Amino acid sequence: MVCDLPRRTLLQLISGAAAGVSMPLAPSLAATNDAATIGWPNDVPSWDPNQRFTPDAQPVFKAVFDQPLDQDTQLKLIPHLIKTWSLAPDALSMAVELRDDVTFHNGDKMTTADFRYTFFERVKSGAKLDIANSMRKVQDIVIESPTQATMRFDSPAPTMPQWMAFLGSYIVPKHYIESSGFDNFLQKPIGTGPYKLAEYELNSRIVLERNDNYWGPKPKISRITVQIIKDPSARVAAIQSGEVDCTVNVPVREVQRFAQDNAFAAEINPITRVIMLNVRADLAFADKNVRLAAHHAIDKMALSKAFYGGVAVPLSVLATPGTPGYIPQFTFNYDPALAKQLLAQSGFGPDKPVKVGFAATNGQFPSDYDIARAIVGMWKTAGIEADLQVIEYAKYFELNRGGKLPEATLYSWDNATGDPEIFSGYQLNPKMPFSPWKDEDIGNRVLALFAVTDYDKRIAGYKELERYAVENGASMPLLQSVVTVVRKQNLGYQKYGNGWLLPQTLQWT
Amino acid sequence: MTATVVTLIARRLLAAIPTLLIVSALLFCVLRVLPVDPAAMSLPPNATIAEIEAKRREMGLDRPLPQQYAIWLRGALHGDFGQSIQFRRDAAALVAATLPATVQLAVAAMVIAGVLGFGGGLVLFRLRGTVLEPLADLVSIVLLSIPEFLWALILLFVFGVVLRVLPFTGEVAPGLPLPHITGFLLIDSLLVGRFDVFASACLHLILPAVALGLAFSPTTMRVLRSSLFDVYHEDYITQARLRGLSERQILLGHALKNAVLPTLTLAGVQFGILFSGTLLVEVIYSYPGMGNLMVDAVRNADLPLIQAVGLTYCIVVLLINTTVDSLYVVLNPKLRIR
Repeated sequence: MVCDLPRRTLLQLISGAAAGVSMPLAPSLAATNDAATIGWPNDVPSWDPNQRFTPDAQPVFKAVFDQPLDQDTQLKLIPHLIKTWSLAPDALSMAVELRDDVTFHNGDKMTTADFRYTFFERVKSGAKLDIANSMRKVQDIVIESPTQATMRFDSPAPTMPQWMAFLGSYIVPKHYIESSGFDNFLQKPIGTGPYKLAEYELNSRIVLERNDNYWGPKPKISRITVQIIKDPSARVAAIQSGEVDCTVNVPVREVQRFAQDNAFAAEINPITRVIMLNVRADLAFADKNVRLAAHHAIDKMALSKAFYGGVAVPLSVLATPGTPGYIPQFTFNYDPALAKQLLAQSGFGPDKPVKVGFAATNGQFPSDYDIARAIVGMWKTAGIEADLQVIEYAKYFELNRGGKLPEATLYSWDNATGDPEIFSGYQLNPKMPFSPWKDEDIGNRVLALFAVTDYDKRIAGYKELERYAVENGASMPLLQSVVTVVRKQNLGYQKYGNGWLLPQTLQWT
Repeated sequence: MTATVVTLIARRLLAAIPTLLIVSALLFCVLRVLPVDPAAMSLPPNATIAEIEAKRREMGLDRPLPQQYAIWLRGALHGDFGQSIQFRRDAAALVAATLPATVQLAVAAMVIAGVLGFGGGLVLFRLRGTVLEPLADLVSIVLLSIPEFLWALILLFVFGVVLRVLPFTGEVAPGLPLPHITGFLLIDSLLVGRFDVFASACLHLILPAVALGLAFSPTTMRVLRSSLFDVYHEDYITQARLRGLSERQILLGHALKNAVLPTLTLAGVQFGILFSGTLLVEVIYSYPGMGNLMVDAVRNADLPLIQAVGLTYCIVVLLINTTVDSLYVVLNPKLRIR
């Protein structure tokens, strides 16, 4: 691990140099064929799709399994395995009607028994599943017929339709798991998705073969190999040399270089992921002036230009452009003079700085540690002395649970649905483990919104909450995150607002 | 001679037991000192304090450290290293799935390191006193100063990106199947008669194995040359010359046999280090071995997996040392008499 940084730096230097040398050798457009290889940064944590909320694994899961509801490219909810759904006005139940033409990869028909098994029986069995959190309000699922069922909740669940399309919500085969055992399912997973898992090698590759009996649109490419390449610069080398046809999450400067080459298409796409500071309501940040000063002192556009080529959109609320909770007319200004003024009101300044703790990951998302260091510099100018420490992402929840996070933590929050409950609602809910902000005022506002069943009122409420939280220093959104994609020019794909690159949308042109 | 070797192997294996116990205790204690709560990390983020406490009791983390170690050791002796926090799967199964790839890579790298080391050592010795000696010396020093991960990057750049003559991701080409019999892809592909898979696996092995081999060969080169220098000062070399033997006969028939002993000991030590060197090389080449798994485990503070991989590394290194010691006895008659 000690050698990790220099090695990566060296690799980046070398791949950058490689670019110049090898440009004349850049691959011509790939011949149209029936296979494609994707260079992917992470393996799936497990073949149990309900187990972990891992955003990077979703495109692979969405190829093998199906979700009850889906999202279109603009993230609008659309029917999928659920044909129709009807949320009761009190949001205490939701009737669903499943498609009757769906089969699992082994030929078994998918029915409401599988739906109930996935979202109720497995959750209540005590299995350690991340969907236990999203399905915590499910009291029962009453089966009325093989295609009709009603979900009953112990408290209002107005966002249950969104959760039906969220990370981890994939229907798994009850009969197959119960008859052949769960270990067998992990070895030979089957779903109802457009691809079957043909081969899997831990930390190396995932081979998908088209499911010719798929109920929906058939994928254009029959065989997809997902090659796990963890190092971003190794992914650059792989796409450059033609070892893979498409890859994601390569450094921004490499994308800009690939964009000059006619053999490749290279894009930097803003997505529904927010980079922000998660803050505490106590310690040095108990003072609202200090919190607001800390926020006003950050030049978000400078961060975007320095680390994301200027394409990461600076944010003033905890929602991304195009999502329901976004407030385009509200801006929280970068104002170093005001920051100094606010600090002065609390008796601090560049000569007598307020001392705060600051935590950041290193390598969890692009340029995270560099962004943190830049913020430390900006704060220092205003009169905030930050003690920056690196934490492992894996320890975040443990530290937060133990109240051990410092005043501010640089964090990245992914919300594939774009719904404001999964942005501000979860981030500011003191009962949730995600944010260190534990405050009764904001907490009560959030909890009240969790019970609002009317969609328009709920969205309006969240907009008001987001603004209130930012104006009170409870929320410090920084940038809308981006995903980078480099592919061969003649390999097309469908672009989603949440950054998904789904194998079933790939096609040679 | 066979009895002596068997006795030695038995003795070495017995001696390895306390070593393993010490290493496992150290590994266990060091990881327990880290400010990480394996119980909390084993559960989803929304787990309650009560659930975490229950998990802690289930994992034996509420007991004194020696007792925790005893529980872990008992499990380890039965092949149970606990559940990986990150994968939520049996840690031993994960190690078993990835160990063959690393062993395959390390053995291939050692063969390359051996060939280059011995060949290079002989060349260096042959060039002694010539005008080329300083140049050969310089080359060996340059080789010595380049670590394995840098070789990995250089080779990837030259042969993978610029020349595009060798693959550099994964274990086999995307379109080919992966037969699973022993876990060793080279062997399994031959067992099922898939020579195309075998050829592809060999091609994919070249760059990572050469990267490791190049990094570990210069030490062998220089030690072999020094040993040959020492041996050539012995009386029996003069005697051989007086008997009219050619320089080639002296080198291959007399000097090399004696000079090779310290080189062999070094090679044993080197193999242990080389095995650990697979860590970064596997990540660079996306090679699905234990090193890649270890990097994941460390990044995710996955204690059960770190312990399982760490102990496996230790066992492999001890086994290698035992093998080298046995070879040493085979090659050195003095040790057999004693």
